[in-house]
Amino acid sequence: METKIIETMDVTKKINGHSILADVSFSIEKGSITGLLGPNGAGKTTIIRLLNGVIDASHGRISVLGKNPKTEGEEIRKNSGIVTESASLYHDMTAWDNLKFFSRIYGVNDERRITYLLDQFDLLEVKDKLVGTFSTGMKKRVSLAKALLHNPKLLFLDEPTNGLDPDGINSVIYYLDRVNKEEDVTILICSHVLHQLEHICDSYLFLKKGRIIEKGTKHDLEEKYLKKIRLLVETGLTVKERSYMGYPIEHKGQGRIEFSLSSKDEIAPLLREILKETWIHSSVITNRSLESLYFKIAGEHNE
Amino acid sequence: MNKHIIKAIAVKDIKSIFSSKKVWIPMVILSFILCIACPGVITYVGIHTDLLNQPSEDIEKPIQAVIEQFPAEEMRNTLSELPTLGSKFVYYFMHFMLIPLFLMTATIHSMVTASNSFAGEKERKTLETLLFSPISVYDLFLGKVLASLIPTLFMTYCSFIINMAVVNLMANKAFDSLLFLDAGWMVFMFWVIPAVVLFNILLNILVSARVKSFQEAQQFGGIMILPVVGIIISQASGLFFLSPFILFLIGTGLFIGNALLLRFITRFNQRNALFESQIH
Repeated sequence: METKIIETMDVTKKINGHSILADVSFSIEKGSITGLLGPNGAGKTTIIRLLNGVIDASHGRISVLGKNPKTEGEEIRKNSGIVTESASLYHDMTAWDNLKFFSRIYGVNDERRITYLLDQFDLLEVKDKLVGTFSTGMKKRVSLAKALLHNPKLLFLDEPTNGLDPDGINSVIYYLDRVNKEEDVTILICSHVLHQLEHICDSYLFLKKGRIIEKGTKHDLEEKYLKKIRLLVETGLTVKERSYMGYPIEHKGQGRIEFSLSSKDEIAPLLREILKETWIHSSVITNRSLESLYFKIAGEHNE
Repeated sequence: MNKHIIKAIAVKDIKSIFSSKKVWIPMVILSFILCIACPGVITYVGIHTDLLNQPSEDIEKPIQAVIEQFPAEEMRNTLSELPTLGSKFVYYFMHFMLIPLFLMTATIHSMVTASNSFAGEKERKTLETLLFSPISVYDLFLGKVLASLIPTLFMTYCSFIINMAVVNLMANKAFDSLLFLDAGWMVFMFWVIPAVVLFNILLNILVSARVKSFQEAQQFGGIMILPVVGIIISQASGLFFLSPFILFLIGTGLFIGNALLLRFITRFNQRNALFESQIH
Protein backbone atom coordinates (compact mmCIF):
# COMPACT_ATOMS: atom_id res chain seq x y z
CA MET A 1 0.00 0.00 0.00
CA GLU A 2 1.26 3.48 -0.92
CA THR A 3 2.18 5.32 2.29
CA LYS A 4 3.71 8.45 0.80
CA ILE A 5 1.06 11.12 0.23
CA ILE A 6 3.50 13.79 -0.99
CA GLU A 7 6.77 13.27 -2.82
CA THR A 8 9.02 15.90 -4.36
CA MET A 9 12.25 15.29 -6.23
CA ASP A 10 14.82 17.99 -7.08
CA VAL A 11 12.20 20.72 -7.24
CA THR A 12 13.43 24.14 -8.29
CA LYS A 13 11.41 27.32 -8.57
CA LYS A 14 12.65 30.54 -10.10
CA ILE A 15 10.64 33.75 -10.38
CA ASN A 16 12.00 36.42 -12.72
CA GLY A 17 15.37 34.65 -12.74
CA HIS A 18 15.53 34.75 -8.95
CA SER A 19 15.87 31.36 -7.29
CA ILE A 20 13.14 30.75 -4.68
CA LEU A 21 13.63 27.01 -4.21
CA ALA A 22 16.57 24.81 -5.15
CA ASP A 23 16.71 20.99 -5.33
CA VAL A 24 13.93 20.43 -2.84
CA SER A 25 13.35 16.72 -2.24
CA PHE A 26 11.21 15.24 0.53
CA SER A 27 8.34 12.90 1.16
CA ILE A 28 5.46 12.93 3.62
CA GLU A 29 3.81 9.88 5.14
CA LYS A 30 0.07 9.42 4.96
CA GLY A 31 -1.65 10.27 8.26
CA SER A 32 1.31 12.22 9.62
CA ILE A 33 1.70 15.81 10.78
CA THR A 34 4.79 17.38 9.27
CA GLY A 35 6.27 20.73 10.19
CA LEU A 36 7.85 22.74 7.40
CA LEU A 37 10.08 25.07 9.35
CA GLY A 38 12.23 27.95 8.40
CA PRO A 39 12.66 31.70 8.68
CA ASN A 40 10.51 34.18 6.75
CA GLY A 41 11.38 34.14 3.07
CA ALA A 42 12.81 30.61 3.18
CA GLY A 43 10.31 29.37 0.57
CA LYS A 44 7.70 27.62 2.76
CA THR A 45 4.68 29.28 1.14
CA THR A 46 6.12 28.63 -2.33
CA ILE A 47 6.30 24.91 -1.52
CA ILE A 48 2.61 24.89 -0.51
CA ARG A 49 1.65 26.72 -3.70
CA LEU A 50 3.64 24.27 -5.82
CA LEU A 51 2.05 21.28 -4.08
CA ASN A 52 -1.41 22.70 -4.83
CA GLY A 53 -0.59 23.34 -8.48
CA VAL A 54 -1.40 27.05 -8.33
CA ILE A 55 2.13 27.84 -9.51
CA ASP A 56 4.41 25.63 -11.58
CA ALA A 57 7.86 24.36 -10.67
CA SER A 58 10.71 25.42 -12.91
CA HIS A 59 12.26 21.98 -12.62
CA GLY A 60 11.77 18.71 -10.77
CA ARG A 61 9.03 16.19 -10.05
CA ILE A 62 6.13 16.57 -7.63
CA SER A 63 3.49 14.03 -6.69
CA VAL A 64 0.61 14.84 -4.34
CA LEU A 65 -2.00 12.14 -3.66
CA GLY A 66 -0.37 10.29 -6.55
CA LYS A 67 -1.08 13.16 -8.96
CA ASN A 68 0.99 15.76 -10.75
CA PRO A 69 -0.01 19.25 -9.52
CA LYS A 70 0.85 20.81 -12.87
CA THR A 71 -1.55 18.67 -14.90
CA GLU A 72 -3.97 17.35 -12.27
CA GLY A 73 -4.07 20.31 -9.89
CA GLU A 74 -7.85 20.39 -9.78
CA GLU A 75 -7.99 16.78 -8.51
CA ILE A 76 -5.46 17.65 -5.80
CA ARG A 77 -7.37 20.78 -4.80
CA LYS A 78 -10.59 18.77 -4.59
CA ASN A 79 -9.02 16.47 -2.03
CA SER A 80 -7.01 18.93 -0.01
CA GLY A 81 -7.82 21.87 2.22
CA ILE A 82 -5.77 24.96 2.88
CA VAL A 83 -5.55 27.63 5.52
CA THR A 84 -3.57 30.55 4.13
CA GLU A 85 -1.70 33.08 6.24
CA SER A 86 -4.43 35.69 5.88
CA ALA A 87 -7.58 33.80 6.84
CA SER A 88 -9.06 34.69 3.39
CA LEU A 89 -12.69 34.95 4.39
CA TYR A 90 -15.45 37.33 3.35
CA HIS A 91 -15.72 39.84 6.18
CA ASP A 92 -19.08 41.18 5.02
CA MET A 93 -20.60 37.71 5.31
CA THR A 94 -21.52 35.68 8.40
CA ALA A 95 -19.53 32.60 9.43
CA TRP A 96 -22.41 30.45 8.20
CA ASP A 97 -22.63 32.22 4.82
CA ASN A 98 -18.85 31.93 4.35
CA LEU A 99 -18.95 28.19 4.98
CA LYS A 100 -22.10 27.79 2.87
CA PHE A 101 -20.39 29.56 -0.04
CA PHE A 102 -17.24 27.46 0.19
CA SER A 103 -19.27 24.26 0.58
CA ARG A 104 -20.90 25.07 -2.79
CA ILE A 105 -17.47 25.71 -4.30
CA TYR A 106 -16.25 22.34 -3.03
CA GLY A 107 -19.48 20.60 -4.07
CA VAL A 108 -20.57 19.72 -0.53
CA ASN A 109 -24.35 19.82 -0.27
CA ASP A 110 -24.60 18.87 3.36
CA GLU A 111 -25.45 21.56 5.88
CA ARG A 112 -24.92 19.04 8.68
CA ARG A 113 -21.20 19.10 7.87
CA ILE A 114 -21.14 22.89 8.32
CA THR A 115 -23.03 22.62 11.62
CA TYR A 116 -20.72 19.81 12.78
CA LEU A 117 -17.56 21.81 12.01
CA LEU A 118 -18.91 25.00 13.59
CA ASP A 119 -19.68 22.94 16.67
CA GLN A 120 -16.24 21.31 16.67
CA PHE A 121 -14.53 24.69 16.47
CA ASP A 122 -16.79 26.30 19.11
CA LEU A 123 -18.33 28.67 16.60
CA LEU A 124 -21.93 27.51 16.54
CA GLU A 125 -23.10 30.34 18.80
CA VAL A 126 -21.58 33.02 16.57
CA LYS A 127 -22.49 31.45 13.24
CA ASP A 128 -24.81 34.35 12.28
CA LYS A 129 -22.32 37.09 13.11
CA LEU A 130 -20.25 38.85 10.45
CA VAL A 131 -16.74 37.41 10.15
CA GLY A 132 -15.42 40.99 10.08
CA THR A 133 -16.34 41.30 13.75
CA PHE A 134 -14.40 38.16 14.76
CA SER A 135 -11.05 38.02 16.57
CA THR A 136 -8.02 36.68 14.68
CA GLY A 137 -8.34 33.36 16.52
CA MET A 138 -12.00 32.99 15.57
CA LYS A 139 -11.21 33.81 11.94
CA LYS A 140 -8.50 31.12 11.94
CA ARG A 141 -11.02 28.63 13.30
CA VAL A 142 -13.56 29.54 10.61
CA SER A 143 -10.76 29.18 8.08
CA LEU A 144 -9.92 25.75 9.47
CA ALA A 145 -13.58 24.73 9.29
CA LYS A 146 -13.64 25.97 5.69
CA ALA A 147 -10.57 23.89 4.86
CA LEU A 148 -12.23 20.76 6.29
CA LEU A 149 -15.69 21.16 4.70
CA HIS A 150 -15.09 18.59 1.97
CA ASN A 151 -13.40 15.97 4.20
CA PRO A 152 -9.96 16.49 2.64
CA LYS A 153 -7.29 13.84 2.81
CA LEU A 154 -4.61 16.47 3.07
CA LEU A 155 -4.48 19.78 4.92
CA PHE A 156 -2.02 22.58 4.20
CA LEU A 157 -1.56 25.22 6.86
CA ASP A 158 0.49 28.31 6.20
CA GLU A 159 1.48 29.99 9.47
CA PRO A 160 -1.78 28.94 11.17
CA THR A 161 -0.85 30.51 14.50
CA ASN A 162 0.27 33.92 13.21
CA GLY A 163 -1.28 36.77 15.14
CA LEU A 164 -2.87 34.53 17.76
CA ASP A 165 -2.61 34.92 21.52
CA PRO A 166 -1.41 31.93 23.61
CA ASP A 167 -4.98 30.69 24.11
CA GLY A 168 -5.65 30.96 20.39
CA ILE A 169 -2.45 29.07 19.58
CA ASN A 170 -3.31 26.29 22.01
CA SER A 171 -6.80 25.90 20.65
CA VAL A 172 -5.62 25.77 17.02
CA ILE A 173 -2.96 23.17 17.94
CA TYR A 174 -5.58 21.18 19.86
CA TYR A 175 -8.00 21.19 16.90
CA LEU A 176 -5.29 20.18 14.45
CA ASP A 177 -4.32 17.24 16.60
CA ARG A 178 -7.96 16.18 16.78
CA VAL A 179 -8.50 16.52 13.05
CA ASN A 180 -5.41 14.43 12.40
CA LYS A 181 -6.45 11.67 14.77
CA GLU A 182 -10.23 11.66 14.30
CA GLU A 183 -10.49 12.36 10.57
CA ASP A 184 -7.16 10.77 9.56
CA VAL A 185 -6.10 13.92 7.72
CA THR A 186 -2.44 14.27 6.75
CA ILE A 187 -1.24 17.74 7.74
CA LEU A 188 1.61 19.89 6.50
CA ILE A 189 2.19 22.95 8.68
CA CYS A 190 4.43 25.85 7.72
CA SER A 191 5.71 27.95 10.55
CA HIS A 192 8.61 29.98 11.77
CA VAL A 193 7.49 29.77 15.40
CA LEU A 194 9.04 26.46 16.34
CA HIS A 195 8.00 25.80 19.92
CA GLN A 196 4.32 25.85 18.93
CA LEU A 197 4.75 22.80 16.75
CA GLU A 198 6.94 20.81 19.08
CA HIS A 199 4.21 18.65 20.56
CA ILE A 200 2.12 18.10 17.46
CA CYS A 201 4.42 17.18 14.57
CA ASP A 202 5.63 13.67 13.79
CA SER A 203 8.47 14.87 11.61
CA TYR A 204 10.09 18.07 10.40
CA LEU A 205 11.52 19.63 7.27
CA PHE A 206 13.98 22.44 7.89
CA LEU A 207 14.12 24.98 5.08
CA LYS A 208 16.69 27.70 4.68
CA LYS A 209 17.21 29.99 1.70
CA GLY A 210 15.12 27.75 -0.54
CA ARG A 211 16.90 24.53 0.39
CA ILE A 212 15.91 21.65 2.66
CA ILE A 213 18.81 21.59 5.09
CA GLU A 214 17.54 18.75 7.30
CA LYS A 215 14.57 16.45 7.74
CA GLY A 216 13.42 13.71 10.05
CA THR A 217 11.57 12.92 13.27
CA LYS A 218 12.58 14.68 16.43
CA HIS A 219 14.14 11.44 17.64
CA ASP A 220 16.25 11.20 14.45
CA LEU A 221 17.33 14.80 14.80
CA GLU A 222 18.22 14.39 18.46
CA GLU A 223 20.26 11.29 17.65
CA LYS A 224 22.11 13.19 14.99
CA TYR A 225 22.63 16.57 16.61
CA LEU A 226 22.37 16.10 20.35
CA LYS A 227 26.01 15.30 21.17
CA LYS A 228 25.79 16.62 24.74
CA ILE A 229 22.82 16.24 27.07
CA ARG A 230 22.10 19.05 29.46
CA LEU A 231 19.94 17.72 32.29
CA LEU A 232 18.38 20.18 34.71
CA VAL A 233 17.52 18.48 38.03
CA GLU A 234 15.48 19.99 40.84
CA THR A 235 17.01 18.30 43.86
CA GLY A 236 18.21 18.63 47.47
CA LEU A 237 21.72 17.54 46.42
CA THR A 238 24.59 19.71 47.59
CA VAL A 239 27.68 19.68 45.43
CA LYS A 240 30.67 21.78 46.36
CA GLU A 241 32.91 20.70 43.46
CA ARG A 242 32.48 21.55 39.77
CA SER A 243 31.46 18.02 38.89
CA TYR A 244 29.39 15.16 40.27
CA MET A 245 30.12 11.52 39.42
CA GLY A 246 32.54 12.93 36.85
CA TYR A 247 29.80 14.97 35.07
CA PRO A 248 30.39 18.74 34.87
CA ILE A 249 27.70 20.68 36.72
CA GLU A 250 26.33 24.21 36.79
CA HIS A 251 24.16 25.67 39.58
CA LYS A 252 20.99 27.22 38.16
CA GLY A 253 19.58 28.71 41.36
CA GLN A 254 18.57 27.24 44.66
CA GLY A 255 17.94 23.50 44.44
CA ARG A 256 18.53 23.39 40.65
CA ILE A 257 21.62 21.79 39.12
CA GLU A 258 22.34 21.30 35.42
CA PHE A 259 24.47 18.26 34.53
CA SER A 260 26.37 17.83 31.24
CA LEU A 261 26.13 14.24 30.03
CA SER A 262 27.46 12.50 26.95
CA SER A 263 24.34 10.49 26.19
CA LYS A 264 20.81 9.79 27.39
CA ASP A 265 21.98 6.42 28.71
CA GLU A 266 23.75 8.23 31.51
CA ILE A 267 20.57 9.83 32.85
CA ALA A 268 19.11 6.87 34.78
CA PRO A 269 22.33 5.91 36.65
CA LEU A 270 22.88 9.57 37.59
CA LEU A 271 19.36 10.01 38.96
CA ARG A 272 19.57 6.70 40.86
CA GLU A 273 22.78 7.85 42.49
CA ILE A 274 21.29 11.20 43.51
CA LEU A 275 18.18 9.50 44.91
CA LYS A 276 20.38 7.44 47.19
CA GLU A 277 21.48 10.71 48.81
CA THR A 278 18.47 13.01 48.63
CA TRP A 279 15.15 13.86 46.94
CA ILE A 280 14.48 14.74 43.27
CA HIS A 281 11.37 16.71 42.29
CA SER A 282 11.97 16.95 38.55
CA SER A 283 14.48 16.43 35.78
CA VAL A 284 14.38 17.76 32.23
CA ILE A 285 16.68 17.80 29.21
CA THR A 286 17.05 21.52 28.38
CA ASN A 287 18.83 21.44 25.04
CA ARG A 288 16.42 19.17 23.12
CA SER A 289 13.74 21.72 22.28
CA LEU A 290 12.90 22.09 18.61
CA GLU A 291 14.26 25.60 18.71
CA SER A 292 17.63 24.45 20.12
CA LEU A 293 17.80 21.75 17.47
CA TYR A 294 16.92 24.24 14.75
CA PHE A 295 19.67 26.64 15.75
CA LYS A 296 22.14 23.77 15.93
CA ILE A 297 21.15 22.54 12.47
CA ALA A 298 21.10 26.05 10.99
CA GLY A 299 24.44 26.78 12.66
CA GLU A 300 26.05 23.69 11.17
CA HIS A 301 24.77 24.66 7.72
CA ASN A 302 26.23 28.11 8.07
CA GLU A 303 29.68 26.70 8.62
CA MET B 1 -18.10 24.29 -16.93
CA ASN B 2 -19.56 23.82 -13.46
CA LYS B 3 -22.92 25.61 -13.22
CA HIS B 4 -23.14 25.25 -9.41
CA ILE B 5 -19.79 26.99 -8.89
CA ILE B 6 -20.58 29.76 -11.38
CA LYS B 7 -23.95 30.32 -9.67
CA ALA B 8 -22.36 30.29 -6.20
CA ILE B 9 -19.83 32.97 -7.19
CA ALA B 10 -22.44 35.10 -8.97
CA VAL B 11 -24.97 34.90 -6.11
CA LYS B 12 -22.31 35.75 -3.51
CA ASP B 13 -21.13 38.79 -5.46
CA ILE B 14 -24.64 40.03 -6.23
CA LYS B 15 -25.54 39.78 -2.53
CA SER B 16 -22.34 41.67 -1.73
CA ILE B 17 -23.27 44.47 -4.18
CA PHE B 18 -26.75 44.90 -2.73
CA SER B 19 -25.56 44.64 0.86
CA SER B 20 -22.98 47.41 0.38
CA LYS B 21 -24.65 50.82 0.46
CA LYS B 22 -21.46 52.35 -0.91
CA VAL B 23 -21.98 50.38 -4.10
CA TRP B 24 -25.71 50.34 -4.76
CA ILE B 25 -26.78 53.80 -3.55
CA PRO B 26 -24.60 55.69 -6.09
CA MET B 27 -25.94 53.32 -8.77
CA VAL B 28 -29.55 54.14 -7.85
CA ILE B 29 -28.85 57.89 -7.66
CA LEU B 30 -27.14 57.89 -11.06
CA SER B 31 -29.99 55.92 -12.66
CA PHE B 32 -32.56 58.21 -11.12
CA ILE B 33 -30.89 61.44 -12.24
CA LEU B 34 -29.94 60.44 -15.79
CA CYS B 35 -32.69 58.00 -16.73
CA ILE B 36 -35.75 59.14 -14.76
CA ALA B 37 -35.43 62.72 -13.45
CA CYS B 38 -33.75 64.18 -16.55
CA PRO B 39 -36.30 62.86 -19.14
CA GLY B 40 -39.13 63.52 -16.66
CA VAL B 41 -38.19 67.19 -16.23
CA ILE B 42 -37.68 67.67 -19.98
CA THR B 43 -41.10 66.10 -20.71
CA TYR B 44 -42.79 68.29 -18.14
CA VAL B 45 -41.11 71.46 -19.35
CA GLY B 46 -41.71 70.66 -23.03
CA ILE B 47 -45.32 69.52 -22.78
CA HIS B 48 -46.78 71.24 -19.76
CA THR B 49 -45.05 74.64 -19.85
CA ASP B 50 -44.49 77.22 -22.55
CA LEU B 51 -40.82 77.62 -21.76
CA LEU B 52 -39.69 76.06 -25.04
CA ASN B 53 -42.57 77.55 -27.05
CA GLN B 54 -41.46 81.16 -26.59
CA PRO B 55 -40.70 82.75 -29.98
CA SER B 56 -36.93 82.74 -29.87
CA GLU B 57 -34.58 82.24 -32.77
CA ASP B 58 -31.91 80.79 -30.48
CA ILE B 59 -34.03 77.73 -29.72
CA GLU B 60 -36.20 77.46 -32.80
CA LYS B 61 -33.54 77.74 -35.49
CA PRO B 62 -31.26 74.84 -34.48
CA ILE B 63 -34.22 72.53 -33.76
CA GLN B 64 -35.83 73.30 -37.14
CA ALA B 65 -32.46 72.79 -38.85
CA VAL B 66 -32.03 69.35 -37.31
CA ILE B 67 -35.61 68.38 -38.28
CA GLU B 68 -35.18 69.54 -41.86
CA GLN B 69 -31.89 67.68 -42.31
CA PHE B 70 -33.06 64.53 -40.59
CA PRO B 71 -32.15 61.48 -42.75
CA ALA B 72 -35.22 59.31 -41.97
CA GLU B 73 -38.26 60.64 -43.80
CA GLU B 74 -40.84 59.11 -41.46
CA MET B 75 -39.25 60.75 -38.42
CA ARG B 76 -38.87 64.04 -40.30
CA ASN B 77 -42.58 64.05 -41.10
CA THR B 78 -43.64 63.11 -37.58
CA LEU B 79 -41.50 65.88 -36.10
CA SER B 80 -42.83 68.45 -38.61
CA GLU B 81 -46.43 67.54 -37.82
CA LEU B 82 -46.04 68.10 -34.08
CA PRO B 83 -47.79 71.34 -33.12
CA THR B 84 -45.38 73.00 -30.69
CA LEU B 85 -41.64 73.41 -30.47
CA GLY B 86 -41.78 71.96 -26.94
CA SER B 87 -43.40 68.73 -28.12
CA LYS B 88 -40.94 68.48 -31.03
CA PHE B 89 -38.03 68.82 -28.63
CA VAL B 90 -39.45 66.22 -26.21
CA TYR B 91 -40.10 63.77 -29.04
CA TYR B 92 -36.60 64.22 -30.45
CA PHE B 93 -34.96 63.98 -27.02
CA MET B 94 -36.81 60.80 -26.05
CA HIS B 95 -36.00 59.13 -29.37
CA PHE B 96 -32.33 60.01 -29.72
CA MET B 97 -30.68 61.98 -26.97
CA LEU B 98 -31.82 59.76 -24.10
CA ILE B 99 -30.12 56.74 -25.69
CA PRO B 100 -26.58 57.87 -24.81
CA LEU B 101 -27.68 58.67 -21.27
CA PHE B 102 -28.88 55.10 -20.77
CA LEU B 103 -25.66 53.90 -22.40
CA MET B 104 -23.60 55.99 -20.01
CA THR B 105 -25.55 54.78 -16.96
CA ALA B 106 -25.19 51.13 -17.93
CA THR B 107 -21.47 51.62 -18.65
CA ILE B 108 -20.83 53.21 -15.26
CA HIS B 109 -22.88 50.53 -13.46
CA SER B 110 -20.97 47.75 -15.16
CA MET B 111 -17.67 49.42 -14.36
CA VAL B 112 -18.53 49.72 -10.66
CA THR B 113 -19.88 46.18 -10.29
CA ALA B 114 -17.08 44.56 -12.33
CA SER B 115 -14.27 46.27 -10.48
CA ASN B 116 -15.97 45.55 -7.13
CA SER B 117 -16.31 41.93 -8.07
CA PHE B 118 -12.83 41.02 -9.33
CA ALA B 119 -10.40 43.63 -8.02
CA GLY B 120 -12.37 43.70 -4.75
CA GLU B 121 -11.78 39.97 -4.37
CA LYS B 122 -8.08 40.60 -4.68
CA GLU B 123 -8.10 43.43 -2.16
CA ARG B 124 -9.96 41.31 0.38
CA LYS B 125 -7.28 38.64 -0.16
CA THR B 126 -9.96 36.10 -1.00
CA LEU B 127 -8.81 35.61 -4.59
CA GLU B 128 -6.00 33.44 -3.21
CA THR B 129 -8.52 31.11 -1.54
CA LEU B 130 -10.57 30.89 -4.73
CA LEU B 131 -7.50 30.01 -6.78
CA PHE B 132 -6.62 27.34 -4.21
CA SER B 133 -10.06 25.76 -4.62
CA PRO B 134 -11.15 23.37 -7.37
CA ILE B 135 -12.61 26.14 -9.57
CA SER B 136 -11.50 26.43 -13.17
CA VAL B 137 -10.35 29.93 -14.12
CA TYR B 138 -13.03 29.93 -16.85
CA ASP B 139 -15.80 29.28 -14.27
CA LEU B 140 -14.35 31.95 -11.99
CA PHE B 141 -14.39 34.54 -14.79
CA LEU B 142 -17.86 33.51 -15.92
CA GLY B 143 -19.22 33.77 -12.37
CA LYS B 144 -17.68 37.22 -12.08
CA VAL B 145 -19.14 38.31 -15.43
CA LEU B 146 -22.64 37.21 -14.36
CA ALA B 147 -22.21 38.88 -10.98
CA SER B 148 -21.70 42.17 -12.75
CA LEU B 149 -24.03 41.67 -15.74
CA ILE B 150 -27.16 40.77 -13.74
CA PRO B 151 -27.22 43.77 -11.35
CA THR B 152 -26.26 46.17 -14.15
CA LEU B 153 -29.05 44.98 -16.44
CA PHE B 154 -31.48 44.85 -13.52
CA MET B 155 -30.76 48.48 -12.64
CA THR B 156 -30.87 49.59 -16.28
CA TYR B 157 -34.16 47.83 -17.07
CA CYS B 158 -35.79 49.04 -13.84
CA SER B 159 -34.80 52.61 -14.78
CA PHE B 160 -36.14 52.06 -18.31
CA ILE B 161 -39.53 50.79 -17.10
CA ILE B 162 -39.93 53.62 -14.57
CA ASN B 163 -38.79 56.18 -17.16
CA MET B 164 -41.26 54.78 -19.71
CA ALA B 165 -44.12 55.02 -17.22
CA VAL B 166 -43.22 58.53 -16.00
CA VAL B 167 -42.64 60.06 -19.44
CA ASN B 168 -45.68 58.45 -21.09
CA LEU B 169 -47.96 59.46 -18.24
CA MET B 170 -46.86 63.06 -18.64
CA ALA B 171 -46.84 63.07 -22.44
CA ASN B 172 -49.75 60.80 -23.35
CA LYS B 173 -51.90 63.63 -24.76
CA ALA B 174 -49.13 65.21 -26.80
CA PHE B 175 -48.28 62.24 -29.02
CA ASP B 176 -50.34 59.67 -30.93
CA SER B 177 -48.32 56.68 -29.76
CA LEU B 178 -46.51 55.63 -26.61
CA LEU B 179 -42.86 56.64 -26.45
CA PHE B 180 -40.05 54.05 -26.18
CA LEU B 181 -42.14 51.20 -27.62
CA ASP B 182 -40.51 51.43 -31.06
CA ALA B 183 -37.95 49.28 -32.85
CA GLY B 184 -35.05 51.63 -32.12
CA TRP B 185 -35.50 51.54 -28.34
CA MET B 186 -36.22 47.80 -28.26
CA VAL B 187 -33.08 46.96 -30.26
CA PHE B 188 -31.12 49.37 -28.13
CA MET B 189 -32.31 48.11 -24.74
CA PHE B 190 -32.35 44.37 -25.44
CA TRP B 191 -29.52 43.99 -27.94
CA VAL B 192 -27.07 46.89 -27.68
CA ILE B 193 -27.15 47.47 -23.89
CA PRO B 194 -26.40 43.81 -22.98
CA ALA B 195 -23.61 43.79 -25.60
CA VAL B 196 -22.08 47.05 -24.34
CA VAL B 197 -22.37 46.01 -20.69
CA LEU B 198 -20.80 42.63 -21.40
CA PHE B 199 -17.99 44.24 -23.37
CA ASN B 200 -17.29 46.67 -20.56
CA ILE B 201 -17.33 43.92 -17.91
CA LEU B 202 -14.97 41.69 -19.89
CA LEU B 203 -12.61 44.58 -20.50
CA ASN B 204 -12.74 45.49 -16.83
CA ILE B 205 -12.00 41.92 -15.75
CA LEU B 206 -9.14 41.74 -18.24
CA VAL B 207 -7.72 44.95 -16.77
CA SER B 208 -8.42 43.85 -13.16
CA ALA B 209 -6.49 40.64 -13.74
CA ARG B 210 -3.49 42.71 -14.72
CA VAL B 211 -3.52 45.76 -12.45
CA LYS B 212 -2.82 45.76 -8.74
CA SER B 213 -5.70 47.68 -7.15
CA PHE B 214 -9.41 48.49 -7.29
CA GLN B 215 -8.66 52.16 -8.07
CA GLU B 216 -6.49 51.29 -11.08
CA ALA B 217 -9.25 49.05 -12.43
CA GLN B 218 -11.79 51.87 -12.11
CA GLN B 219 -9.49 54.36 -13.82
CA PHE B 220 -9.14 52.05 -16.81
CA GLY B 221 -12.89 51.49 -16.81
CA GLY B 222 -13.41 55.25 -16.97
CA ILE B 223 -11.97 55.28 -20.48
CA MET B 224 -15.08 53.38 -21.58
CA ILE B 225 -17.16 56.51 -21.00
CA LEU B 226 -15.37 58.41 -23.78
CA PRO B 227 -17.12 56.77 -26.78
CA VAL B 228 -20.46 57.33 -25.03
CA VAL B 229 -19.70 61.05 -24.69
CA GLY B 230 -18.88 61.05 -28.41
CA ILE B 231 -22.28 59.51 -29.17
CA ILE B 232 -24.05 62.13 -27.03
CA ILE B 233 -22.41 64.97 -28.96
CA SER B 234 -23.06 63.45 -32.37
CA GLN B 235 -26.68 62.60 -31.52
CA ALA B 236 -27.36 66.08 -30.18
CA SER B 237 -25.90 67.75 -33.23
CA GLY B 238 -27.70 65.44 -35.65
CA LEU B 239 -24.30 64.41 -37.02
CA PHE B 240 -24.79 60.73 -36.60
CA PHE B 241 -28.18 59.08 -36.51
CA LEU B 242 -28.52 55.76 -34.66
CA SER B 243 -31.20 53.97 -36.67
CA PRO B 244 -32.44 50.57 -35.46
CA PHE B 245 -30.32 48.93 -38.16
CA ILE B 246 -27.15 50.73 -37.07
CA LEU B 247 -27.93 49.84 -33.46
CA PHE B 248 -28.36 46.21 -34.47
CA LEU B 249 -25.00 46.26 -36.26
CA ILE B 250 -23.28 47.88 -33.24
CA GLY B 251 -24.73 45.20 -30.95
CA THR B 252 -23.69 42.39 -33.28
CA GLY B 253 -20.17 43.79 -33.56
CA LEU B 254 -19.91 44.04 -29.79
CA PHE B 255 -21.16 40.48 -29.26
CA ILE B 256 -18.51 39.19 -31.67
CA GLY B 257 -15.94 41.29 -29.79
CA ASN B 258 -17.19 39.83 -26.51
CA ALA B 259 -16.74 36.24 -27.71
CA LEU B 260 -13.17 37.04 -28.81
CA LEU B 261 -12.44 38.89 -25.56
CA LEU B 262 -13.68 35.97 -23.43
CA ARG B 263 -11.45 33.59 -25.37
CA PHE B 264 -8.53 35.94 -24.96
CA ILE B 265 -9.13 36.38 -21.21
CA THR B 266 -9.30 32.67 -20.46
CA ARG B 267 -6.38 31.79 -22.72
CA PHE B 268 -4.01 34.39 -21.31
CA ASN B 269 -5.05 34.08 -17.68
CA GLN B 270 -4.07 30.56 -16.71
CA ARG B 271 -4.20 29.88 -12.99
CA ASN B 272 -0.43 29.98 -12.48
CA ALA B 273 -0.01 33.25 -14.43
CA LEU B 274 -2.92 34.81 -12.55
CA PHE B 275 -1.55 33.62 -9.23
CA GLU B 276 1.97 34.86 -9.85
CA SER B 277 0.77 38.27 -11.05
CA GLN B 278 -1.96 38.82 -8.46
CA ILE B 279 -1.02 37.06 -5.20
CA HIS B 280 1.91 38.27 -3.16
